[in-house]
Amino acid sequence: MIELTNVSKSYNRGKVKAVDGLTLSVKPGEIFGFLGPNGAGKTTTIKMLVGLLRPDAGRLMVEGFDVAKDPLKAKQVTTYVPDYPAVYERLTGLEYLNFIGDVYGVPRAERLDRIGKWLEIFELAPVVTNPIQSYSHGMKQKIVLTAALLPAPRVMVLDEPLVGLDPRAAHQLKEMFREHCDQGKTLFFSTHIMEVAEKLCDRIGIIHKGRLVACGTMEELRALDQTEQSLEGIFLELTDK
Amino acid sequence: MSKVATVIRAGLRSNFGLATLKHRLFKEKKDRWLVPLVGLAAVGVLPTLYGIVLLIENAYLLLKPMGQERALLTLGLLAGQLLILLFGIYYIISAFYFSRDLEMLIPLPLRPSEVMISKFAVILINEYLTVAAIVLPVVITFGVMAKGGVGYWVNTALVYAALPIIPLAIVSVLVVAMMRFINVSRKKDILILVGSIVLITASLFLQVGLGRSRGPQANPEAIAAFFTSPDSLLNQVGSKFPPSVWATKAVAGGFSGEGLANLALFLGVSLAFFAGIVVISEKLFYRGLVGLGETTGKKRRLTRDEMSRRVSSGRRAGAAIFSREWKIMNRTPIFLLNGVLVVVIVPVIAVLMGTMGSSRGGGGGGSDLTAILKTLSSSNQLYAILGAALFMIICGSLNGTSSSTFSREGAQFWLSRVIPVAPREQAAAKFLHSYMIATLGVITASAVAAFVLHLKAVHLAAAAGLALIVGVLLTAVGMIIDLARPLLDWTNPQKAIKQNLNVLLAMLADIGIITALFFGVRALIRAKLAANAVLVVLFLALAVLAALSYHILLRFADKRYPQIET
Repeated sequence: MIELTNVSKSYNRGKVKAVDGLTLSVKPGEIFGFLGPNGAGKTTTIKMLVGLLRPDAGRLMVEGFDVAKDPLKAKQVTTYVPDYPAVYERLTGLEYLNFIGDVYGVPRAERLDRIGKWLEIFELAPVVTNPIQSYSHGMKQKIVLTAALLPAPRVMVLDEPLVGLDPRAAHQLKEMFREHCDQGKTLFFSTHIMEVAEKLCDRIGIIHKGRLVACGTMEELRALDQTEQSLEGIFLELTDK
Repeated sequence: MSKVATVIRAGLRSNFGLATLKHRLFKEKKDRWLVPLVGLAAVGVLPTLYGIVLLIENAYLLLKPMGQERALLTLGLLAGQLLILLFGIYYIISAFYFSRDLEMLIPLPLRPSEVMISKFAVILINEYLTVAAIVLPVVITFGVMAKGGVGYWVNTALVYAALPIIPLAIVSVLVVAMMRFINVSRKKDILILVGSIVLITASLFLQVGLGRSRGPQANPEAIAAFFTSPDSLLNQVGSKFPPSVWATKAVAGGFSGEGLANLALFLGVSLAFFAGIVVISEKLFYRGLVGLGETTGKKRRLTRDEMSRRVSSGRRAGAAIFSREWKIMNRTPIFLLNGVLVVVIVPVIAVLMGTMGSSRGGGGGGSDLTAILKTLSSSNQLYAILGAALFMIICGSLNGTSSSTFSREGAQFWLSRVIPVAPREQAAAKFLHSYMIATLGVITASAVAAFVLHLKAVHLAAAAGLALIVGVLLTAVGMIIDLARPLLDWTNPQKAIKQNLNVLLAMLADIGIITALFFGVRALIRAKLAANAVLVVLFLALAVLAALSYHILLRFADKRYPQIET
């Protein structure tokens, strides 16, 4: 469950408004796709949601915990995958996963089970004892995803998670998205791939110049636009102002 | 603008963070408090600078009647060039081969020599700043004392501009050749470590070598002959590195025939060295670079049992963070050198310098120094304890570990922000890591103090106790400074620890604290307190300060972490 109420954030002492009075909610069991042109405010919103940026105004709630007032409880139920996989390059993949398991307090049996499963799926098992600095960009993305899946969080927040993944890994990740939400958990992700958003998301939000210009299921978006267009067409029309 | 000038400009802007600084100061209006602070620090350095100038003045007045005063210039210029030679190894390896912008520069339509020249320019500027503290006081004081004319100052500016070129060119050729012909590229971590240890060993040998060349044969006739021949000291000092003699004669001679001839020689040789590296880099630079950015590891799937053993059974979050700090510090050569190795090496160098003199038959001051220290320590036990404690504090705490602890996380700091671990718990784990390194320094320094000064065990324990308590205070202060303005946007780890202003600010703060402690102890001694009472008061006061600083650190972490936006 995610709730954003009147959230605003500006940079350069108020001169650049990145997010402007954003209100939206994502229900449990929902895959929410967050779309918008470059610089629309997607990453800023996501960073506020995981506590990396402080909003100038408004409230962000995750599973009933206020991100600003109860950050540790909010963080305990959330994991985040950034748009660029900046991870501890001097640690091995397994050391990094152990670190994440330790700080989230994942029990050993579950840890073994999940690490084994995701390393196999992402084909990282043969390199897990190598330093992360020897990984390719895609492999780094996969180890960050494995780490985000390790605590089996109630809420996953992902910024462009499919970038850098090979087709097989991208397919498996999308399957995981569905599996995750079928357990009543919440998934919030940003993407530029319209096809993925259209096929995968239960609901979609489109942000433009910091404002939410549309939000709903595909049918609701089509109704809003009064056309039978694809998501790409709707997106282009809504953001062409 | 020519291509070379464009690349140099971009290199200087990105390396010295001018664009970022301008943006932060004038656009975001952040870090403005730094301007008065840097000004204050500069004013704080003035008394030390004044002391150095006085020392140089006295040396000038002493050497002048013997016609040896120009040796002062040689000494200053030589020291500057040696410093460039030694630290140049770090800078060159790091800038030529391990800076990440190379991946962006190499695909551009630039010649290898053009890329190399841009890197060289950045190092050159760095070196001007590095040697300014050594060379400028000498040449300026000398110029004022000798009433140098226009020629003196013009030649000084030209010599200073060319000063780093010869030593940097020597190092560049060595490094470029090594990278080309020895297949070390895939073991770059080992390369930096071995290079640095070679550097330290070389500096020790230079120390001994220069010590040996410091004076004439130890018989009265030789001494008399030595000092009656003008500039004999200059030639003696400069004999290991002739360019410093040419530079001296160029500066001191001004527009005279001797001055201009030596200036031409110095500038000509510098230019020739520079041309040499341009030619060499054109042929060898890129060849050593190929594949450098790649690191490989063997592929091996763990068996079920191995995996079961290696998956942690669940440590406390604090222990996990401590372990992360430890591993990252020890596996990043630049961090390892400036943290763990510094606290071990500094005391060892001290003991070598203290004992080497005795084997030189009085050529150097080592044996005298040891003797003076021994006499001092046996005559007043309080001074012996305080002196040893000061030595241990310097060895343990005056390094960049605590004052770069947050900066070292760099782009990965987002992880510390999103994990469900309270900032105070993270800061406590980081404190423990920095403090353990400080403790290692205190232990090594204790061993050295025991070995060189033969302190009694009880005095040694008291000194170590004091140093450990001060260590808490200085570690906390260093961490607070770094937390106030962490440097997170680096691409080269060297920036996080060696070129981090926080490390300098923390050192200034440490020196301030030590100075305050010195005055406090002096007041206690003047109040005619017994030695034991002085120690007890000092212990108690420091314990309170240490506890307070640790408490402030944890509270500050809770406040500051959410403010750091990544």
